[in-house]
Amino acid sequence: MEMELRIRFYGRLADAIAPEIELATGGCSISDLRSRIASDFPAAEAMLDRSRACVGDCMAGDEQQVGDADVVEFLPPVSGG
Amino acid sequence: MSVVALLEQHALDPQLELAELAEAAHGDGAIVTFVGLARPESKQGNAVDALVLDHHPALTRQSLQDIAVACAERFDVSHVRVVHRCGTVPAGEPIVFAGAASLHRRSAFDAVNYLMDRLKTEAVFWKREVGDTGSAWVEPTEADFADRDRWG
Repeated sequence: MEMELRIRFYGRLADAIAPEIELATGGCSISDLRSRIASDFPAAEAMLDRSRACVGDCMAGDEQQVGDADVVEFLPPVSGG
Repeated sequence: MSVVALLEQHALDPQLELAELAEAAHGDGAIVTFVGLARPESKQGNAVDALVLDHHPALTRQSLQDIAVACAERFDVSHVRVVHRCGTVPAGEPIVFAGAASLHRRSAFDAVNYLMDRLKTEAVFWKREVGDTGSAWVEPTEADFADRDRWG
């Protein structure tokens, strides 16, 4: 079975999209991934723009490349405690 | 010196947390604590049954630890203890315990003030109020950010 990139969302993004989705990308940048998700879920685009990407519990810049074995997380602005 | 930062998935007992801090603070002259409760009403005046705090499996705990460590380094305190709930917190129940112990009171007061100002804006939670009118996401207010920024 072909491996797919797992993408997790938190907060409002999880509400607007889902807590987790899988996409077959064949490898892409975080920026490409943002565009792909925004295209598939246009209602989430504005919140996605305000969200940070995270790979392996580290913040990831838009230029970072990810492969289909990775898990990418998108974190909207936090609420605080 | 001790720094404790815990993410609590179930009930938070402020008396128990105070007892733990007091045990560690043997020999100090001051303990200051703050307990935050889930409010039963939103800013818009809607009844709130519960707060639901979504968290990240690693970064939430790390954010609590970073804030507690920064507090311990900044103020003349001997012990810092932060315990924060995640998950569903019914209105009226404790959501956060922040405490500090020191030789003299001023440092402990300042430390807890600092802890709460940073927790309110930087702790990695996504929080929503749930009530009869539905569910509403909550974000820090301008006043919360101003409170945090006064610490530089």
